[in-house]
Formats: sequence, C-alpha cells, structure tokens
Amino acid sequence: MAGGYTGKFLLVNLSSGECRDFSIDSQELGKYIGGSCLAAKLFLDRYDLTVDPLSPGNPLMIMTGPLVGTGFPGTSRFTICSKSPQTGIWAESACGGTFGPDLKRAGYDGVVIEGRADSPVCLSITDGKAELTDASHLWGKDIYEATDLIKEQEKSVKALVIGQAGEHLVRIAAIGNDKGHFSGRAGLGAVMGSKNLKAVTVKGTGKVGKADEEKFKAAQKQAMQEIKDSALTEGLHLMGSDANMDLGMVTGDVPVKNWTSGGEYELASSLSGPTMREKYLTKAHACVNCPVACKRVVKVDDGKYTSEEGPGPEYETCAVFGTMMMNPDLTAVIKANELCNRYGMDTISCGSAIAMAMELYEKGTISRDDLKGIELTWGNMDAVLALVKAIAYREGFGDILAEGAVRAARKIGGDAIDAVVHVKGLEAPMHDPRGFHGMGLAYMMSNRGACHLQHFAMATEQGMASWPQLFDMKDDYQGITSEGKAALVYNSENYGILANSLSICHYVAYIVRPETLLEVFNAVTGFGFTFADLMKSGMRDWTLKRGFNNLLGITKKDDVLPKRIMTALEEGGAAGSVPDMELLLREYYAFRGLDERGFPKEEKLVELGLDELKARLYQ
Amino acid sequence: MAVKAMTQEWMDAYKAAIQADPEYKTIAKDWEGSVSLVVNPDPSKNVPEVIYLFMDYWHGDVGEFVVCDKAKADSAKFVMTGDYARWKQVAFKELDATKALLQGKLKMKGDLPYVVRNIKTVNKVIDLLGKVDTLWPDDAN
Repeated sequence: MAGGYTGKFLLVNLSSGECRDFSIDSQELGKYIGGSCLAAKLFLDRYDLTVDPLSPGNPLMIMTGPLVGTGFPGTSRFTICSKSPQTGIWAESACGGTFGPDLKRAGYDGVVIEGRADSPVCLSITDGKAELTDASHLWGKDIYEATDLIKEQEKSVKALVIGQAGEHLVRIAAIGNDKGHFSGRAGLGAVMGSKNLKAVTVKGTGKVGKADEEKFKAAQKQAMQEIKDSALTEGLHLMGSDANMDLGMVTGDVPVKNWTSGGEYELASSLSGPTMREKYLTKAHACVNCPVACKRVVKVDDGKYTSEEGPGPEYETCAVFGTMMMNPDLTAVIKANELCNRYGMDTISCGSAIAMAMELYEKGTISRDDLKGIELTWGNMDAVLALVKAIAYREGFGDILAEGAVRAARKIGGDAIDAVVHVKGLEAPMHDPRGFHGMGLAYMMSNRGACHLQHFAMATEQGMASWPQLFDMKDDYQGITSEGKAALVYNSENYGILANSLSICHYVAYIVRPETLLEVFNAVTGFGFTFADLMKSGMRDWTLKRGFNNLLGITKKDDVLPKRIMTALEEGGAAGSVPDMELLLREYYAFRGLDERGFPKEEKLVELGLDELKARLYQ
Repeated sequence: MAVKAMTQEWMDAYKAAIQADPEYKTIAKDWEGSVSLVVNPDPSKNVPEVIYLFMDYWHGDVGEFVVCDKAKADSAKFVMTGDYARWKQVAFKELDATKALLQGKLKMKGDLPYVVRNIKTVNKVIDLLGKVDTLWPDDAN
C-alpha cells in the first residue's frame, strides 16, 4: 500500500445494520488520489446516479486524502460527498477541524454510508471497529447540544452531527464537526437526516505511514517557514477570512443588497475583520496542526444580540447576513451564524434565500401575510433570525425557503428567480463576478454549482498567490476584464481542485509553494509525481465529475451566469462591468476539451484514462 | 519636468501632489501615522544602495516627507520593504501593493488590520505616486 493511505474503507448499510471493510488498490488511489475525486469514482462505479438524493439508495461518503493525519499543516480536512438534494447533481463539501485525521488514525481512508436506519442512530468508529448505536436521545437536539452530549459519554471522540435542519430534510442543511467546523454546501445534512443518521463519531490511535519520513520532515519544515513568512498568514490569523470585507468592497468583490448595489464602504467597515477583532474576538482558533489559526472565537456581552463565547462568522457569513441584507450590526451576524451552526444550515444558502425574500417583500411579490406577520424589510435582523429558525423547522414561509433559494423562487413564481444568483441550483458565494470575471467562469464551470472552493481562481485572480512555475501566470490580473481569464481559471482549477482530493486547506495551499506541496505529496505517497502529473490529476478530477453531471443531464445550457450578474452595477468597484460569458466559455471549452453539448470529448476522456466514463457518455 | 525618483526633490513633488488632491483629505481623514518605504538596491538598474524614504501622514494632512537613514525609516509606524523593480511596478500600477504584500514581493512591518481598515487611503496615495512625473534610475542615461 502506498504511504498516506490505510487502503481500507468502511461500508455501512444502515438498512441492514451491516458494517464491513473494503479496499482499493494503490494503482486506483494513485489515479484518483482520494477525497472527492475518489468518491466520484466510487459513486459512478457502484451506485445508480438517478437515485433520489433523499432516498436510502443515495450514498453519503466521508473521505480523506493521503496527506490527512500526517501532521502536515492544513491537512485536517475531509470531504463529504453525495448527490445533492439541493441541486440534483454532484455534491461535495470539505470541512476542517479534527474528524479527518482521527478517521485515518482509526484505520480508514473513508466511510461510505448506504441505506436508512429505522430509527435515529449514531455510527461510532473506534480503531478499525464500527458499530451503530441508538441516537433517539440526540434527535431534536441542535448541533452544539448533541455534540456536548456525545462528548459527555467519551470526551476524546470527534463528532460529525446534524441539527434540526438535517432532521427536517432542509435542502440547505449542513453537517457540523465539533461545533466549530461545517460541511455546509449542497445540503448534505439533509442526506444524513434522510438516513436517520444523527451523528458519526470517530476515535483513532493509529499512525499514518509515509513513504519517506526524512523527506516528509524536510518538506514540513519548509512549509512551516513559508507559512511563517507569509503576509496572508498574518492577515488570516489577525482578521480571519473576514479580512476580505474592507478590501473586497473596494475591488467590487462584496455583494450588496442581494447583488443590486456596491460601494458601501461604511457598511463593510462595520462588518469587517478588523471590527470583529477589536470588538468581539476572544481568540483565534486553529484546525488541528494548522499554524495559521484563521478561525474566530467570539463573544457578545452587550446589546440586543448577545452570544456566549463560540465559533465566529467567516467572511461569507458576514457578507450574506450583513451587506446582502443591508445590516450593519455585526452582533446580529454573529447571532445568525450561531443559529445556523446550531440548527445545522449552510450560512451562504440560508442568507441568500432570506436576502432574496427581502427583495421580493420590498417588491410586493410576497406579503406580510405570506410571512405570518414577519416584516422582512432590509436590515430587520429580528425578522431574519425568526426566519432562520422557521427554515430549520420548516415552519410557515420557512418551509419554502428550506428548499434553497432556487426551488423557493420557482415555488413563489413570477420573476422571483431573477432575484437569485446561482449556477446549477447552488447559490453563489459572496464574491461578485462583476468585480472578478474569472470568478464568473469558475462559478459557471464548478461541478457542484456556483462555488469558490473547487479551484484556486480566487487566489490567483485576486492576487493572493502567483504560481508562474505552474503555468504562464501574471503577478497581477485586473478583475474587471475577461481577457486571459479562461486560461487562468482552467489552470487554477486543475491545481486547486486537488485540495479536495488531497484534503488540504485552501488557505494553506495558497501560502505553501507548489514545489513544497509536490515534495510532501511524493514524500508521503511515494508516487513520484511531477507537476505535470499533478495537473493531469486535476484535469481527471474535474472531467470525472463533469461526466457525472453530464449523465444527470447537465449540458452547455447550464454553464451560465444568472441575469442579475449580467446586469452591471452603478456603484462600487465593479461598476459598469459584466463578464464576457461568450468569450470566457469559448476559450474555456477549448482548454477543457468540451464539445458543443458541454460533454468531454472522447479523445480527452481517453487521454485522462477515463475509458469507462467514455463508454457511458458515448454509448 | 520629470524629477529623479527617490530623491528629496521627488519626495517634495510627491508631497505636493498629495496636498493638491481634492479627494485625499476626505479619504485619509482617519489615517494616523508615518510610513517608510525601503528600496532594496539593484545595481543593474542604477540603484547601487538601499534607499530609505520617510513620509508622515496625519488625518488627511501630510507632514515630513524625506529621504532618510535606516534609523529614521525604522521609527515609522509602518515600514514597507521591497526590491526596486517591485516598487516601480507598484508606481506604474502593474502590481497592486496589497497583492505584492500577499505574494511576499513586498514586506510590511506594522499593524496589518489598520492598513486593511484604511485600504482606500493606501490605494489613494499609490494612485498619486503614479501622478508624479518621474525619471526612474533605470530609465536615465
């Protein structure tokens, strides 16, 4: 077995209660690396793609990569994969924290969960042994409460838990890891809820093997130095991901008033990383083995929205519950974040659905009666917090928003869909493609729908990183141009998509040089990859998931930015600018080897060794 | 008429450009503190020795703008260091200063959250740097 892998996976059938191991050989691991890429391969090989995402037949896969558990910085990650109940296509959502390394130390590269339990259960994995136990006493509890109860029984276990949103099959439900870390996107908490699986716990005491311990240590030392020397490290440590708020408002990155405005500098300042640091931060928190410590721990003692000390909001949450809703009150954002964490909901999707509803309320499309008396005016955070709970419990109008913004807009009807910024059914994260045209292309082509984490386009286009050693890349790209962006996105995607197969944090991968990352990958696995091999793995990863989606009906017609993004803003850093979709797609399709339908061409599939996928796409 | 970059005459011209800008006073109203730029030598570009530049900014006004020694430069609230070629790229707006910092092409000592909070001020003074009619060392014969 190659280093970095246990070679063993756990297969759990909740319908029968059977837990058994299966293995994947080194050759397959070398080809698909691990994480979400290997999960896509497993899904394609073993499951019916047409399965209803909330039915027992939809597998939920918890995957690690070869670097997880080695102690290399940023490799606490794991990725949860399935077919999305929100979008109906490929879903993956990565998470930091503590669970991934312990799963590896417990002897598993991944866990595949099928079926549906008759009553709420908890899957417990301890050093190569798995068992299902009754979780009825946890059902109905929020993520914080349930996690505390689990840890009362066994303090050292790491826990994945769903909240009330997952239990109620809210299509934007998240999965929490030890309260402070979340697999948020694409509704995977609902998949877990549909299986009556309240929690997965893990405890591992084993060690992850490496092909070359000395080379690993040298690469680790090098990475630590690069992290120490980086201004990005300093910024993330001091301000968290919300360091982007002030900068992003200037560059046109931050969406305002449900993507209809820009240039709100005072609003951004009230919600920014420096403000959070000055007023509410109690400490910075790190995922295991991470020297960056970008996570926020916050406490609000005074005012209307007090919060006990706990996990603080990321930039995305500050934007979606802040600028998107014209809310300048950071304490209300912190409270909304806490509620989403507790109920187990993705903050981007939840906030986007509410911001859409605010706009429709202003237009009169939905009324106060529709909202059961809630006055959903811009910035009314009492109303927002009430709606967050209503969504989690599927109560009143919350039941409609619990479907996610796209399905909700379709239920509401009329031109409601024009108030939603999404691609392939997933609400866009808080980065405006009118300010950064490459991000627009990346949204269009990301395999889970609009996403900033299936690639490193944000890092390269916004200038957080520059890797001319990987491809012909400039130090500085202008955001508001589409020229040259297809090449940028294509290459940043081939490299960046590996984050979720290697299972490494995006921020750490932005900071650590590609040479160091390649060195550690080879030191751990012994695969002897070159840069070209790594980039080819990224191409294979993207193409495999694209083929998955093609088999579910995704074509070129779905590679499109919504009307709102193709409408220029009048104010702010992105004023007057919209991406040139036609240019971006034409160039990108040529790089990616896609045909007119948006399918990978046969020769591309052969080049990448995806012959089985070719047979299915071209049968 | 163009003035030689990184000389006292050039610092005076830069200071005058900032003082003459109608927007600067408003944008920089919250900024407090001095900034030093340290230009690493590059003999191949006619910059044989390290150059230290000290600039004092205070609530929309400007104070001392001088070519100085290391001790004076180190006394500034913010000290930014980089190779000559990088500074020239910044002046020509070929490289955004924030991106240069993040990519490690410029280094900064000082309160980073303060800079982030006042990013519009930073961008403004860089804009104005580009407006000074400059003769760069590697462009001079």
